[in-house]
Amino acid sequence: MKKEQILIQIENFKKSGEKFLTEPVCEEILSSYKIPIPPAYLAQDSEEAAKFAAKVDFPVVLKVVSKQIIHKSDAGGVIVGIKNKEEVKRAFDKILKNVKCYNSKAKIDGIYVQKMASPGREVIIGAVKDKQFGQVVMFGLGGILVEVLKDVAFRIAPINKDEAMEMIDKIKGLPILKGVRGEKPIDFDILSETIASISKLVVDFPQIAQLDINPIRVYPKGLYAVDARIILE
Amino acid sequence: MQIDLQKKHLELKCFFDPKGVAVIGASHSPEKLGYQVVRNLVKGGSFSLPYLKGFSGKIFPVHPKANEILGLKCYPSVKKIPERVDLAIICIPAKFVPEAVRECAEKKVKGINIISAGFGEAGEKGKKLQEEFLKIAKKAGIRIVGPNCLGTLYTHAYLNASFGPFLPFSGPITFISQSGALVDSVIDWSVKEKYGFSAVISYGNKSDLDAPDFIAWAAKDERTKAIALYIEGLNDGRYFLEVARKVTPIKPIIALKAGKTAAGTKAAGSHTGSLAGSYEIYKGAFEQSGVIIADTLTQLFDMAKSLALQPPAKGNKIAIVTNGGGNGVMTADYCEELGIQLPPLPKDLIEKLDKSGKMHPAWSRANPLDTIGDAGPERYRVALETVIGSETYDGVIVIQTLQTMTRPVEDAKIVVEMQRKYKKPVVGAFMGGPFTEPGVKYLEEHGIPNYNDVDRAAKAMWALIEYGSYLKKRNKV
Repeated sequence: MKKEQILIQIENFKKSGEKFLTEPVCEEILSSYKIPIPPAYLAQDSEEAAKFAAKVDFPVVLKVVSKQIIHKSDAGGVIVGIKNKEEVKRAFDKILKNVKCYNSKAKIDGIYVQKMASPGREVIIGAVKDKQFGQVVMFGLGGILVEVLKDVAFRIAPINKDEAMEMIDKIKGLPILKGVRGEKPIDFDILSETIASISKLVVDFPQIAQLDINPIRVYPKGLYAVDARIILE
Repeated sequence: MQIDLQKKHLELKCFFDPKGVAVIGASHSPEKLGYQVVRNLVKGGSFSLPYLKGFSGKIFPVHPKANEILGLKCYPSVKKIPERVDLAIICIPAKFVPEAVRECAEKKVKGINIISAGFGEAGEKGKKLQEEFLKIAKKAGIRIVGPNCLGTLYTHAYLNASFGPFLPFSGPITFISQSGALVDSVIDWSVKEKYGFSAVISYGNKSDLDAPDFIAWAAKDERTKAIALYIEGLNDGRYFLEVARKVTPIKPIIALKAGKTAAGTKAAGSHTGSLAGSYEIYKGAFEQSGVIIADTLTQLFDMAKSLALQPPAKGNKIAIVTNGGGNGVMTADYCEELGIQLPPLPKDLIEKLDKSGKMHPAWSRANPLDTIGDAGPERYRVALETVIGSETYDGVIVIQTLQTMTRPVEDAKIVVEMQRKYKKPVVGAFMGGPFTEPGVKYLEEHGIPNYNDVDRAAKAMWALIEYGSYLKKRNKV
């Protein structure tokens, strides 16, 4: 997506009074800033979902896409670890049923069929618009640990790759990323690149009030942004 | 954002080195603010100290009726003063301030310290008054310190343009504080702790000038070697970042930010939002711009002192020289916590010291280098010279405990001599009371910062390492 297209998308969401961008849109925006996303397609029916699943390769995760459903898991809108076409079809129908139950008025754009990223070390990259400093970017150990350990560092955006590397150096959990007990170190090069890209993204789009990519799975080579959320002002 | 430090410095010069100072609201009665401010200008302070002197430039009290105050001729209005006035100090009730500022504009005053309270901090009515005088000042190009502040002090010009208690000793630190009360305590405290200041600034409501403006001024003040900052908030975070980035390669900035637990700008909806407390973001901005972070007021001045007096460390490998085992072990613990490396004494240095004939047979042969309690000045010399001259170490913490053979002043002389010869950073931890004091005095008068406890010495050394590493990084880019 080009910058102008992203802007149009953002304006559309704003016009409809929505603050939360849907996942496919978030991911498209991130992709255009060269942030690796596991391959995914938006399916309109269970047959299509099965076809897409085979295309991105199993295992896959199915996620509901609806502007009205912000907490997808709470709505029963996420099913993970799907291993074959039959399971895909069943999961598709189950999600529709769950979501209808959760919010009968929700308008469903489709079901997102996405390849599951293999397990890796989990980090968070986020951004928030601060009253005094404007856009700031955050990095830390991610997944469910983030709220407990609060092992994060902030920088005023934008930052370059070197500054992103300094940020990574600041967190206490750094040894985990360097690898413990014979584990290989993660790909610091692409991680610092990604932090810098996010910092540029939020500066390019001051309409973004908050952004979360949690988790990002980082591997000895490469990374995947597994779950992303963008909230507009 | 392009920031011209020199331009900023000249713009704020009127607050530190003015030609002519007017006090609007000068008074006869000693219990009034307007009297204390005139007295501060005339005598340097309200307490008697041997070094105190008054401001040597012209002082003009402004009072509607009085003929003279403290021996100075009074004027009914600032406009009636026949000579040049660069700085005005306003200490009249808030509601009269806009009119006073208007008169200053006519008089072509350059800067005003508004000490009066009752503005932005005091509800809607106050806010309106603040906006009103700001509008007048902006139009006339007058810069404002305050309101609701102490004002500015500049030791080299003997200018106490504030209602702070007295001018502190002159020295290499500029202290910029959002809080006025804190300045009061720090000034008195500094006499005991022997912190010397170039300028002290209390800027209160920051209606116009804010911390970054004063940082820019201090960056170009020849006498300032380190800038200590106490802030609660900023008007413009990005402006701070830009100024700090420009200044830290020239001079160290040490900051104490209050309001750690405040929820600040916390926003819900995302993990990032819930973690983005205002302190965490400030911390990020400080780290990003090379500002050294202090957690306590003691740390703020301990680090400002070491950074003002000593060269930054080229690396983080430190030697500890001590005449007391326990103090050495404690220092090693604090260093470890701070990430300061203590490389073991290399073999050749051990041999050298063994052969010197000056060491006690039981000396530690390790880092911390324990010279044993009976160490006299000569043993300090050989131990200190061996480590400071070695490429293994980037700096030294020298500890002295008062034992029967200890000669504090002799030891201090050696520390000073060695630091000057090898030019590596040295901090002292000559620990004790009145009998150690002469040694401490010698150290500090000769540019070696000393601390009465080893955790403070370790933190002071940490600051030198931190700043050195920042400079290295910046110079590489």
